Amino acid sequence: MQLNEDAIRQIVVDVLSGMSDQGSNSETKSYSPDRSGNMVLRETGRASEGRDNDEVVIAIGPAFGNKLSKTMIDVSHSEILREIMAGIEEEGIKARIVKNYITADVGFMGHQAAKISGSGIGIGLQSKGTILIHQKDLNPLANLELFPQAPLVDLATYRQIGKNAARYAKGENPEPVTTKNDQMARPKYQAISAVLYNKEVKYLDADKKVVEVEVSFK
Amino acid sequence: MKRSKRFEILDERPVHQDGFIKEWPEAGLIAMEGPEDPRPSVKIENGKIVELDGKKREDFDMLDQFIADHTLDIDIIEDVMAQDSRELAHKIVDVNVSRDAVKRLGLGMTPAKVVEVVGHMNVVEMMFAVQKMRARKTPSNQCHVTNVKDHPALLAADAAEAAMRGFDELETTVGIVRYAASNAISIMVGGQTGRGGVLTQCAVEEAMELEMGMRGFTAYAETVSVYGTEQVFVDGDDTPWSKSFLASGYASRGLKMRYTSGTGSEAEMGFADGKSMLYLEARCLYMTKGAGVQGIQNGSISCVGVPGAVPSGVRAMLAENLIAMLLDLECASGNDQTFTHSRTRRTARMLMQFLPGTDFIFSGYSAVPNYDNMFAGSTHDVDDYDDYLTLQRDLKVNGGLVPVEEEDVIKIRNKGAKALQAVFKELGMPDITDEEVEAATYAHGSKDMPDRDVREDFRGIEDMLNRGTTGVAIVQALEKNGFEDVAENFFNLLKQRIAGDYLHTSAIFDENFHCISAVNDQNDYAGPGTGYRVPDELWEELKDIRFARDPEDIGE
Amino acid sequence: MDKELVESIVRDVLGNLENQGSSAPQKSGNGLTAKDYPMGEKSKDKVKTPSGHTLDDIEFKKIISGETSGSELRITAETLNHQAEIARSVDREQFAKNLERAAELTKVGDERILEIYNALRPYRSTKQDMLDIADELENEYGAVINAEFIREAAHVYEKRKRLKGDR
Repeated sequence: MQLNEDAIRQIVVDVLSGMSDQGSNSETKSYSPDRSGNMVLRETGRASEGRDNDEVVIAIGPAFGNKLSKTMIDVSHSEILREIMAGIEEEGIKARIVKNYITADVGFMGHQAAKISGSGIGIGLQSKGTILIHQKDLNPLANLELFPQAPLVDLATYRQIGKNAARYAKGENPEPVTTKNDQMARPKYQAISAVLYNKEVKYLDADKKVVEVEVSFK
Repeated sequence: MKRSKRFEILDERPVHQDGFIKEWPEAGLIAMEGPEDPRPSVKIENGKIVELDGKKREDFDMLDQFIADHTLDIDIIEDVMAQDSRELAHKIVDVNVSRDAVKRLGLGMTPAKVVEVVGHMNVVEMMFAVQKMRARKTPSNQCHVTNVKDHPALLAADAAEAAMRGFDELETTVGIVRYAASNAISIMVGGQTGRGGVLTQCAVEEAMELEMGMRGFTAYAETVSVYGTEQVFVDGDDTPWSKSFLASGYASRGLKMRYTSGTGSEAEMGFADGKSMLYLEARCLYMTKGAGVQGIQNGSISCVGVPGAVPSGVRAMLAENLIAMLLDLECASGNDQTFTHSRTRRTARMLMQFLPGTDFIFSGYSAVPNYDNMFAGSTHDVDDYDDYLTLQRDLKVNGGLVPVEEEDVIKIRNKGAKALQAVFKELGMPDITDEEVEAATYAHGSKDMPDRDVREDFRGIEDMLNRGTTGVAIVQALEKNGFEDVAENFFNLLKQRIAGDYLHTSAIFDENFHCISAVNDQNDYAGPGTGYRVPDELWEELKDIRFARDPEDIGE
Repeated sequence: MDKELVESIVRDVLGNLENQGSSAPQKSGNGLTAKDYPMGEKSKDKVKTPSGHTLDDIEFKKIISGETSGSELRITAETLNHQAEIARSVDREQFAKNLERAAELTKVGDERILEIYNALRPYRSTKQDMLDIADELENEYGAVINAEFIREAAHVYEKRKRLKGDR
């Protein structure tokens, strides 16, 4: 993976500005007192196949949370992961986080997550904010629910997506989360999204494969 | 700084909502003439291409090898490559050099060479070349029929109206994947209600799309995507070989298909390999040609916001259409997905294909309001119909639409929805109520429609698929419920698979199921007074927009 | 044209004839051109359904009554080869080849087509899996062009590390 000086500089600027942003809009969420503050990711080695059927695996992109810190509409990665995990746990299901270094494609990440998830349900989540729910028996490019227009997904929706993933894990057939559609999201964000994704794939590292991630909020 | 009032107003213009970016060549965020684009080159040894655009055979990636072994014509390539690129560009726009003669040059150029050749052209020259080089003589148009609710009755009504308005192809896709079969059936029934012979497709994941074609729920396929770098191709879960096999799979069932590609997809997917968008698109087109696929949908398509954000991006979209035509491929030329907030920009971008005419000027004019367009919007939608009809009339251009009367549209929408209601009943799908039919008849879009019970619909669709339902059951359902004419159109469309005439380049059907393609309607443009001209009869129709006043009635 | 090329063409043609056996559809030799197109109008006599019926035999009424099966609404290998000839007459060599590959696949069931397609997607198959599919196509369906095509793919996938387990 090649990194030129400008790109590194840009990433540092992004990370720093993400950190300061989090200070300013840190409205505390009451449901989960231990999850206030900034997310800290700790990689704990190669991800394993889950045996418990009461889990949903969330695969995050290689730059998520540490190399990049916010989506294309500047929502912090901390907030997003917090909401998804809360949504899953509300349904009495565990959330397990892995980081995928092989691919940053949301479909493949989600499918990979589903394959190692004890329940067969996984979520793919990119640094730019694009998210989907996957199931291990589906084709990689199919999905249970896809939210392609990331700029239209708000925090409440991320939480709802977590909830629905958990309900699939329990063998239920939930009403899909309402997809928003704004034809103007493309002209406004597509090129920005391309820039962000190009930054994300710089951190792919085939040797690292998929790693287990311990998430804490400090 | 004290703000200038003039600048303040400029800042509020819609064009400022567009997300422009500066070029970033290392990430492929450059439209044409990338600094890392290879220099054109080719070497042949023992009847095999051993060097292509600066790369040795042992270093070929999948695309290089596929193009070298399946696309390029080694009998002519050394000769064509030796010609000056500017001279080749001259031949392309010279009315005295025939389309056939230029067409032969296509397979004698490498991707880097053809990019260099079109790089010599400005957009006016490219438009002229498109007029001369497109495959089918008669231009045509395609539309999108979708809605946020995946509401079947509304899809059927919209498809019926779209067919009546003159679109020769209708494309649907889904809000939720599990609606795919329902949406495909809805627009096929609606389409055949509006006009027999309209071709319909449903854009979903590749294997599912083929299955729907095999069942007789669609008439052709288009969402078979190819990409210009190996990594992105593989991220798209395919290879040139799997995609070629898929193409033959479609043809083996008598189903028309084209591929989809377009500038910006590689940069959007993160692996542009530092190459310009147009160079990578040229590789897609040469791969498509080598697979033996008859045509392509390009003009950026779903990644249009990417080339749309960089300098010369709209020119690159026209250039990619032109390269497809130089390879004698059918070209459904984009203009589909929204790339701008600016009315000025979208019209300017559309004129590039509208004026010269292409096989399908839009590969998805939105035949629904844009808020219902599940391809994330189109450049033009139902609210632009009268503007579009006026442009045809202003410029004497056949853009593929004809003026229609409100009363006729209401009637056909009602019939389409009712026909589908009958089909749903017979196939054991959840009911379409009379209220839903009524709402669909008069609707502007899905905001005017009641919600469906989504889970019930899923159950119905799954049961229907598990019973092995095919298009024949739909024909029978239509006939049994008094929709004999629609049934016969549906049947005739299925029957076309036996002869396979519409597998050919740029094929469409007229209302009598007469097949019109680049075999029996080859473009023969050779200067003023030749090629396609708006026929007198059609011109009378195009002139007659419903909001032009008759001088005789004025003041009397 | 050089001598080697001619020789290899002759060998190919002979090889094809051997593989096709007696019931295989006749390739080319009908001299069809753009003048015979659309075949559904101008060369109806050469278009047959899978069970040998003519286009005119396939009537709306018979489909409604169930007298004619839906499986008749399919193209045959013979017709595809005819269409390939027409494609060549208008200088569309690669497209013609695709139709010829398609002709070979008419005998392969829907399910199997989908399975083979999925098996050809990246990282799905070992080299041996692909070679086995090629053998199956050649031996069970006489699909020699497709078999060759898949063998070629197997080599490319190996070289480019796109086989099962490569990721």
